[in-house]
Amino acid sequence: MISSRSVVEKKVKYTVFTIEECPVCGQKTKREFQPGDYVTKDGAKCTKCGNQTRISLIYAETAKPPK
Amino acid sequence: MSGIGVSLLQIGLDLNSIFYVVSLLVFVAYGLYAPRIQVWFALNEIGRGLTRLKVMKDKARKETIDYLTTTGKASGDPTERVDQFLDYITIMPVDIDPNGIVGKIDHVVTTRDERVRQEVGTIVGDKNPVTVSVSENLLEAATALNTIHKIVRHFYLLGKKTSSYFMLVQLQMLMPMIIQEADALVSAVDTFKLAQPLGDGIGAVIASRYMVGREKQTIAKDTVLAVNEYKGRKLYVVKAEGPMAYVGQPGVGIRHVIEEMGVKPSAIIMIDAALKLEGEKTGEIAEGVGAAIGGIGVEKYQIEEVAAKHKIPIYAVLVKQSILEAITAMRKEIAEASDKVMTLLNRVIEEKTKEGDDVLIAGIGNTLGVSQ
Ligand SMILES: [Zn+2]
Repeated sequence: MISSRSVVEKKVKYTVFTIEECPVCGQKTKREFQPGDYVTKDGAKCTKCGNQTRISLIYAETAKPPK
Repeated sequence: MSGIGVSLLQIGLDLNSIFYVVSLLVFVAYGLYAPRIQVWFALNEIGRGLTRLKVMKDKARKETIDYLTTTGKASGDPTERVDQFLDYITIMPVDIDPNGIVGKIDHVVTTRDERVRQEVGTIVGDKNPVTVSVSENLLEAATALNTIHKIVRHFYLLGKKTSSYFMLVQLQMLMPMIIQEADALVSAVDTFKLAQPLGDGIGAVIASRYMVGREKQTIAKDTVLAVNEYKGRKLYVVKAEGPMAYVGQPGVGIRHVIEEMGVKPSAIIMIDAALKLEGEKTGEIAEGVGAAIGGIGVEKYQIEEVAAKHKIPIYAVLVKQSILEAITAMRKEIAEASDKVMTLLNRVIEEKTKEGDDVLIAGIGNTLGVSQ
């Protein structure tokens, strides 16, 4: 009997994270994505050297958000 | 006469014989009616798929209306306008024209894009360019799902009406791929609403690394250019203008840089997402030559034209991903490929060009959530 199977990927829950990177010392901070975030947007002050960080990446991961 | 009657009675009383006769009948019946049974199975399976497609298209439509009302602050109920737009038709130019049809396709597609933007502009009250561009993309996704559903329904009903075995079996075979694509479109809706970078945005992410903090100028519709330097080479970096959900016009942009600005690049390097084959890993990087750009083919044609005319080699850097990954929030594997892509890109620049050269770099893809 001819038949075919649906190949839709199993629904996995993804959480989207934002990475803020310090252009001076290179420190990276990972936090949950906030609406309005975009790559190259200014982030918080660097906790290590106090410089202005910048959002370098935004990506989805299967990991749970840190509580 | 009576002899036959007796022997029939004898057979009739034997259970094994009954079973034998029945199984023989079933076998013969199956042989005769197999296509009909297959039609019945196909109709069932397509019917189930069709229901799923309907749920998906209704979801996309509803989410689009919701977004236009809440985030877009539409004045009044946009439902009617959206429904009208779902059936919007683009008629492609005739393809027997020997003078070339790319210009005509470009014209039709540009007109359509303008029309979508205009339509969205009249619906949404919020004139934030990100909101407008997201609304455009949501409308496009809802329209695509509506069209998929309509076409599948057409062949389903036609196959049912005519009991056409071959039509139904073909459709049944295609259903998994159709569902997969529809599923990707409906998943894209959530990413669009949150304005998160898509997997397809990897080219834009790379280009933005060269552009950040530099002066930007608009060189084509939704397309920007910045100039930077790397090891004595002058880099002309092109990408769509973010963080809006634009793909821009890199073809027009690249031609502008070469023909109107008079830049003579010794190489064009394009970075884009590429569909992976089953079995390939997400985020794998491939290097090659040729114009790395998808879509209907207009931009690809324009880039190839200008490159061939000026004898500029085109190099491509591709990041592999599935159709679902390309239009939903960028996966970690893809994002983390960016450092490797940068290393590769710098190596290509060093190997293929020399100090004092001009190099054109184009980050291709939807630049939602990626500024410059
Ligand atoms: Zn720092």
